[in-house]
Amino acid sequence: MTAPLRVVLIGYGPVGARFIEELLPALETGLVDLVVLGAEAEDAYNRVLLAEYAVGATTRERLEVTDTAAARAAGARIRLAETALEIDRERRIVRTSRGDEVGYDRLVLATGARANVPTLVGLPDTRRSHGAAADSGPLPLPAGVIALRDLADAEAVAPVVAGGGRIVVLGAGVLGMEFALLAAEHGARVTVVHHGPAPMARNLDEAGGRMLSRAAREAGLGMAAHARAEAIDFRDTDAGRVFDGVACADGTYLRGDLLVLSCGVGPRVELALAAGLACARGVLVDEGLQSWSDPHVFAIGDCAQIADPSSVDRSGRVSGAPSGLIGPGWRQAAAVAAGLRAEVAGTAAGEDAAVSAHERPTVVMLKATGIDVVSGGDHLAEPWDADAEVSVWVDAARGAYLKTVIREGLLAGFVAVGLPHAGAELTLRFESRSPLPVEPSALLRLDAADADAAPVEDTLGPDATVCWCNGVTAGRITEAAASGACTVEEIGRCTRAGTGCGGCKGRIAALLVAAPVA
Amino acid sequence: MTATASTPPAEAATHCPYCALQCAMTLTPTPQGPAPVRVEPRMFPTNRGGLCKKGWTSAELLATPDRLSTPLIREAGELRPAGWDEALTRIVAQLQAIRREDGADAVAVFGGGGLTNEKAYQLGKFARLALGTSRIDYNGRFCMASAAAAGNRAFGIDRGLPFPVEDLDDADTILLLGSNVAATMPPLLGHLAGARAAGGLIVVDPRRSQTVQLTADGAGVHLQPVPGSDLVVLLGLTHIVLAEGLADLEYLASRTTGSDAVRRSVAAWWPERVQAATGVPVAQLRAVARRLAGARGAYVLTGRGVEQHADGTDTVTAAINLALVLGLPGRRGSGYGTLTGQGNGQGGREHGQKCDQLPGYRKIADPGHRAAVAEVWGVDPAVLPGPGAPAVQLLGMLGAPGGVRALLVHGANVIVSGPDAARTRAGLEALDLLVVCDFVLSETAALADVVLPVTQWAEEEGTMTNLEGRVIRRRRALRAPDGVRSELEILADLAARLEAPSVWPTDPAVVFDELARASAGGIADYSGLSHALLDAQLEAGIAAHWPYPAGSGGTPRLFEERFWHADGRARMVAVRPRERGTDDGHDVASPESAAAGRPAAQLTLVTGRLLEHYQSGAQTRRVPELADAQPRVQAELHPATAARLGIADGDPVVLRNRRGAVTAVAQLAERIRMDTVFLPFHFPEDECANLLTAAVVDPISGMPEFKRTAVTVTAAAPPLVTATVAATVDAEAGEAGESPSAGLVSERGVAA
Repeated sequence: MTAPLRVVLIGYGPVGARFIEELLPALETGLVDLVVLGAEAEDAYNRVLLAEYAVGATTRERLEVTDTAAARAAGARIRLAETALEIDRERRIVRTSRGDEVGYDRLVLATGARANVPTLVGLPDTRRSHGAAADSGPLPLPAGVIALRDLADAEAVAPVVAGGGRIVVLGAGVLGMEFALLAAEHGARVTVVHHGPAPMARNLDEAGGRMLSRAAREAGLGMAAHARAEAIDFRDTDAGRVFDGVACADGTYLRGDLLVLSCGVGPRVELALAAGLACARGVLVDEGLQSWSDPHVFAIGDCAQIADPSSVDRSGRVSGAPSGLIGPGWRQAAAVAAGLRAEVAGTAAGEDAAVSAHERPTVVMLKATGIDVVSGGDHLAEPWDADAEVSVWVDAARGAYLKTVIREGLLAGFVAVGLPHAGAELTLRFESRSPLPVEPSALLRLDAADADAAPVEDTLGPDATVCWCNGVTAGRITEAAASGACTVEEIGRCTRAGTGCGGCKGRIAALLVAAPVA
Repeated sequence: MTATASTPPAEAATHCPYCALQCAMTLTPTPQGPAPVRVEPRMFPTNRGGLCKKGWTSAELLATPDRLSTPLIREAGELRPAGWDEALTRIVAQLQAIRREDGADAVAVFGGGGLTNEKAYQLGKFARLALGTSRIDYNGRFCMASAAAAGNRAFGIDRGLPFPVEDLDDADTILLLGSNVAATMPPLLGHLAGARAAGGLIVVDPRRSQTVQLTADGAGVHLQPVPGSDLVVLLGLTHIVLAEGLADLEYLASRTTGSDAVRRSVAAWWPERVQAATGVPVAQLRAVARRLAGARGAYVLTGRGVEQHADGTDTVTAAINLALVLGLPGRRGSGYGTLTGQGNGQGGREHGQKCDQLPGYRKIADPGHRAAVAEVWGVDPAVLPGPGAPAVQLLGMLGAPGGVRALLVHGANVIVSGPDAARTRAGLEALDLLVVCDFVLSETAALADVVLPVTQWAEEEGTMTNLEGRVIRRRRALRAPDGVRSELEILADLAARLEAPSVWPTDPAVVFDELARASAGGIADYSGLSHALLDAQLEAGIAAHWPYPAGSGGTPRLFEERFWHADGRARMVAVRPRERGTDDGHDVASPESAAAGRPAAQLTLVTGRLLEHYQSGAQTRRVPELADAQPRVQAELHPATAARLGIADGDPVVLRNRRGAVTAVAQLAERIRMDTVFLPFHFPEDECANLLTAAVVDPISGMPEFKRTAVTVTAAAPPLVTATVAATVDAEAGEAGESPSAGLVSERGVAA
């Protein structure tokens, strides 16, 4: 029997965990030997729900996404709180923070992303710290300042929310807004500080963003628009120096108990860069998630940038970025696992071992109670643009805003605020890349106040069905009444209405009362 | 007139011939009447003295003018009347020759969920002992297989409702997934009245079906997911129940295994992700999860809408998991159930018609089970064949090399009811011998080499097992017409001619006694029951819910003490949707080629039932009142979708994909999703919805995917008129485009 294929996975987040799950069959048959290095001391957990955990809306247990025990039982060696410090591609080994060297035949990078720390007076400059050390440990942020990226951050938020404290959120991207709304819902006093006129500028056009801003204010948030944070101040307490407030360029000073940085994330590529693997924003990989530089190395999830090697422009740049979303990450994890399973089974890799480099930008949806915001694709086209069919509806009084952009018959982009049904339908159409089956305006009726009310036909009109069991209409009953049937029983004898489940006898009686006497 | 053993009584207390609710009715012979018997509803827990339109008119089929009363044999391409001996002689000669040449498995049997328990049992025995074939399966594979597989997996037993249907009365919340009971078994609605009054009827359906309309005015909630996304809806609801701390953790700890794996698996389905995949808004998902968790009594019920999918078993498993995290099954006043469809869809799946099964829900691959049944049959267990092929696979073997050369069909109309009707037709036509037992010349019978006329419901004795696992008596009110035989008589005669071992009684009561013995000790244990016992307690309304072992009083509620796995616990199995494309394997013809220039839409076809018709329609299309109400297939389309396609209410439309095309009358209704089109599956020939469906099946249950077919929909333009307009437009090309229709035609002109 040949030796098992040695696979090393760096990163044990939700994407890494999915990779392990998909690889389990090959582990169980002994064809693959798997070592997992996880920088955190925790089993993989669902980062998407971290904000819910932070405000106490869910428990730690409910963040679990994978069965670590089952993976271990299948033979995976999962080493927590052990960071990969260096990749030696020549010798195919990974050096770890415990001084160990782990050999590999295939290396999978799932190192994820870290929060961007803005350049502010009072914050350490973390933008350019090269080398593997940057990949280890949490960000060195002062007390009272967090970036809500891991469990420890979430646990710092909990007491502030529980105590009704003041939170300043810096950045109004989708994650910042989600956290802000959730924290406010759970009792914190929250102010969001952001550039420009409206939040979620990357995902919404200005009108959509302003509609969201309005809804957020109604939900009790302070929205500091056009604000440029310049410095943070600290105050001395018994526990030492802690965050006190944010000073903005216009002179405003926003005091708080906690500052949450939500200024985007950057792929963790330092390890790959140091190993000489091609990187742009992320680790550059092809559609099989294989590194451009080394066929033994793969990258998946937030650290992976899928691009065609021929897409390098003249100045050597590669456009694009990792999607930063969990769905594509899981698909990538499954694809690499499928490829490795095929490899050890000696079969050709199937279609499932690759993802599309041109995977459509995924729809972005705000997770918030009572505020429905969803957008996707190119939504910046304006109604007067000649090369697109753009439709816009605004009903400010009801907080509703809808924009659709259609190009070549297909939905190219959309924004829906305050229209949950329409937003959901557009999401489905956008993701399945299928044409809208209807004119965009038809979607508005899905969220109309009467959409869930009785069907279009008049419930007491002659064509309305009264008795479902026997398919008898109101008209047929009034006819029978006109011909002399005066009681519910008599109506039943001549039309069978009311002779099934009997649930319509009350309506029959009502029709008899209303019917002209024969 | 042939002499019969006994004269039927003046009136017969029996049940409706159609669906699994098995409404009780009394038949009184009316020799002078328009129909040979008069139908009166009878008080019974399921229907409480009510009947639907199908039940009221059920007697009319007894007098249908095209009733078969003599065997038919195909000769020179035509079916001609023949005597019984001639017909049976021909069948036996061909069966023997085929078996000699290609082995016993070259002969197959296709049964039905409408057959009585006695017939279903005898048919399974006949296949294994008289034909020696492993290849028997039945049309229940098209309706109940996924729910059955999921029930067995979770609970260790498959009884559609593990509680009496009246238990639903007291529930304040009922989650009904993929079932339009208002059309399919309307008298059941009475049992939903309590939930409606409490504002707790929650219906999941891509259409605002008649049942969904009962949620209006505060009676409940409608979730309208995109077809094929029910599994994700259920994962999302389970996620919310767990995430919001609404789960019954004590119950999970004491009565289930596997909840940790389920909790982890649903962690990935937070509500917003579910909305993106299903189209169901987050707020609705949360409201429904909270309603279920806060209910005084809640039930989760599934139907074919969520089950007839390539992931149907996993979808039902997800529904069961939701019920389990809420702590519903096995707790008085709450539970999970599936609404069985066909009249004997429950009993029909218990006694040996399934390819992997022996009577009493025993497994044909289990040596102990084989020995037990072989002993009752008086044969060596070694003569019993092993597991055969499930229905869709079986139909795919017809006429294929190494496949099936002869097929015996009982109680099924496969050419209409099976997926991919063109494939089924090709298979049936490739057979050397097709034998169909029916009482009318169904579309499948019309293709047969030999047709054998059999009794109808009012002409026979037997038992059925309704949707709540209650064994009930079918009783005779009429003598069958001359020349007609019961299937028990036919099987006995054939068994004798084939020199089969064992005994082949023809009295249903005697067959039942043998079934009872064969089921003793099995999961579906009927050993304490007999026709005599059921008759004696008829007036008392005996609650003969199986298991009913000798000496017991039946089991109305299955899970009060324990579930049926050895450890007594329910097994929770983590499931997740499989990644798949937007249509079933790029099966759609390109819209341009399909539409010939007309505006086209790619929609998802869902199929289902109408109030007026039952299954393939072979029966109900022969009842004038029902046929008059629903004479033709109608395609339900959203008006906004239709407007874009230039289709008005009542226009002919064409639904097309690579497998076939159906022309239907457009019925515009806001109640359907804009991306979905609905066809009822009761119609034959070029109106047959199954010309479009694919023979793609659930890998666990073998259930076909009836509810997620990609089709291209266009208006069916009247060809002559179009040609004229096209010519006009070509002649006056400069003026084209004045009207929408002219514009379209001119586009076509350019394309040509």
